[in-house]
Amino acid sequence: MTDDTPVWASGLTKMFGKAHAVRGVDLNVPKGSIYGVLGPNGAGKTTTLRMLLGIIDPDTGQRRLLGETSPRKASHRVGYLPEERGLYPSMKAREAIAFMGALRGLDWNEGRKRAGVMMERAGLGAATDKKIKHMSKGMAQLVQLLGSIVHMPELIVLDEPFSGLDPVNQEHLEALILAERDRGATILFSTHVMGHAERLCDRLSIIAGGLVRFEGTVADARGVLPMRAHYVPCAGGDAVAKLLPADAEHIGAGWRFTVPEGGAEKLLLSLIKAGHGIEGLSMERPGLHDAFVRIVGAAKVEDAEMMS
Amino acid sequence: MSGLIRQAAVIARRDFLAVVATPTFLMFLLAPLFMIGFGIVGGSGATQVAASSEQSTRIAIIATEADARALKETDARMRVLFKRAEHAPPKLAIIPPHADQAIMAKALFASKKTDYAAVLYGTLERPTILQDNRSQGAAQYLAEIAEQTLRDRRGSIAFHDHLSRATLVTIAPVASSLRGKQAAGYVAVFGIFILTLFLAGQAVGMLAEEKSNKVIEILAAAVPLEAVFLGKLVGMFGVATLFVSFWGVLGAVALSFAPAGVLTALQPAVGMPVFMLLCACYFATAYMLLGAVFLGVGSLAATMREIQMLSLPITVFQIGMFGLSSSAAANPGSKIARFAEIFPFSSPFAMAARAATDSALFPHVLALLWQALWVAITIGVAARLFRIGVLKTGVGPRAFIGRRLSRAKSI
Repeated sequence: MTDDTPVWASGLTKMFGKAHAVRGVDLNVPKGSIYGVLGPNGAGKTTTLRMLLGIIDPDTGQRRLLGETSPRKASHRVGYLPEERGLYPSMKAREAIAFMGALRGLDWNEGRKRAGVMMERAGLGAATDKKIKHMSKGMAQLVQLLGSIVHMPELIVLDEPFSGLDPVNQEHLEALILAERDRGATILFSTHVMGHAERLCDRLSIIAGGLVRFEGTVADARGVLPMRAHYVPCAGGDAVAKLLPADAEHIGAGWRFTVPEGGAEKLLLSLIKAGHGIEGLSMERPGLHDAFVRIVGAAKVEDAEMMS
Repeated sequence: MSGLIRQAAVIARRDFLAVVATPTFLMFLLAPLFMIGFGIVGGSGATQVAASSEQSTRIAIIATEADARALKETDARMRVLFKRAEHAPPKLAIIPPHADQAIMAKALFASKKTDYAAVLYGTLERPTILQDNRSQGAAQYLAEIAEQTLRDRRGSIAFHDHLSRATLVTIAPVASSLRGKQAAGYVAVFGIFILTLFLAGQAVGMLAEEKSNKVIEILAAAVPLEAVFLGKLVGMFGVATLFVSFWGVLGAVALSFAPAGVLTALQPAVGMPVFMLLCACYFATAYMLLGAVFLGVGSLAATMREIQMLSLPITVFQIGMFGLSSSAAANPGSKIARFAEIFPFSSPFAMAARAATDSALFPHVLALLWQALWVAITIGVAARLFRIGVLKTGVGPRAFIGRRLSRAKSI
């Protein structure tokens, strides 16, 4: 951890009653990055974010937010979009954004001005004086997001920001997140939708069962799984199978198998020598989705073994 | 049709059980008892004040020892006639002369400890009776005591021959009467109670909106919960102040058409302007104190139904504070009055009553600081309970004390 690390946590734990929600989470979010906290439902993502923000206190462990051991002290430099969206229904959109800015120390009038500009940019210009209760869920969600960044925070924490948004609004939101990163903000967001994480995250953590099971870049995560190859021989029929790895599956005219650790060259050479030839060959990089499923699946097995 | 009734019965069964199968339903069930209790407490408070001021009122005769015994005997004999009467004359005090009797008599009217309804001085044949404009009957009674005492002394006298010819002198009260002070005290207690009953009770559901639309998460992330609670209270206090101002102005206009005696009967010891200012301050602290309690309790309620049910015990709590403070108003300087002045949640009411009967201002400065401290403590406790009960964070009182103790040991 360096002094300018926006978010740092070590060994955070939290119990609700007798249930362990978080069992020892370590986080280190680099400045100016987009950092994803990934995990299945009930993994402890929201609890971790709430502990980092000081909404709840950890039972044990340490945390530091924008250099402050007490997250409250950094409150005006942080923007937060909670998982459960909340706005006063009778407030007008512009007022709601200004109100959220004012909570974080922004002058109310300045907040109103900025709200107008931001809503215009986000394509909500016509709805500035519309009451929240008269807006669609997606629009209201966008208003809340604008409210969480209207004071231009150094750190933006978004809990499941894409849930409930249609694809168009999801794209808007991705653009907005990238724009905030370009402004210099650090973004920490949680999701269980891998597509967003894959497109946005510089680094990510995968949490399962209240523990961090993986930390690194998207490429690192994908590297958890070996490459797969799809090979179509020129000839040879079922005899090809004898030369292929044990997990090879016959699909149509071709075969799909895991690329051996040393690479595919040796295997291909032996296939050519044996006269099977290569009619088609494609290498398939595993996606973040596959890596996530593998990591979370392994975590479940591990936890089950510990329990037994 | 039968299907509709069956479906309605399913809904009815759920709603019925959801209400009845809760501990708070018991409070709801006993509501009439509380209402009766409210009537008794309010009524007895007013009666206590009236009785207390009646008991502290005296009539006096400035007379030598030689006359004192005869006068007392006459009083005792005549008083028998009033045994069952609603308005018996105030108790008689015989005061030996030690200076100019006229000056003594006026000085008695200026007494701050005792209300004198009428004072007789001079000879029994030609007495002078001082009275204020509210005590006509008392002066007549003193005149009759003088007359009957002389008749006893002189034996049989024709009924139409008057032996005593009193001169009645009506004077303006030189000091506020104890009755007027206590009346002002009771009006203050009752007024602040009614206002807090109407207004502070609303605090119970103030966090319901934030909880239902999840705004609480935004607030809790941005500002300390104590600030959320205080902000809510101050916001609602602003509404209450607006309400009080509106009705206060209307009330003032209405009072300007009322008979002159209505307001002059209230004679707070600290003077009316200071009294009004203190009452405003005590209304503020009463609102904030009770509002903080209600806000804290209401914030823990999970549903609107629970909030509705909670309003009843809250009303009971308020009535309890009112009863305590009424007793304080009726018995200024007593132990119960001291307790009510110190106990944080009755302190604003009891201190308002004290302002009516005691002219010292310094205790009010202390009381307001004490009450402000308790507003802070109550908000702090309410926020802590909210953290534990709703946000599921923080530690309960036992664990909190345990941690403090272990920290102290380690130091």
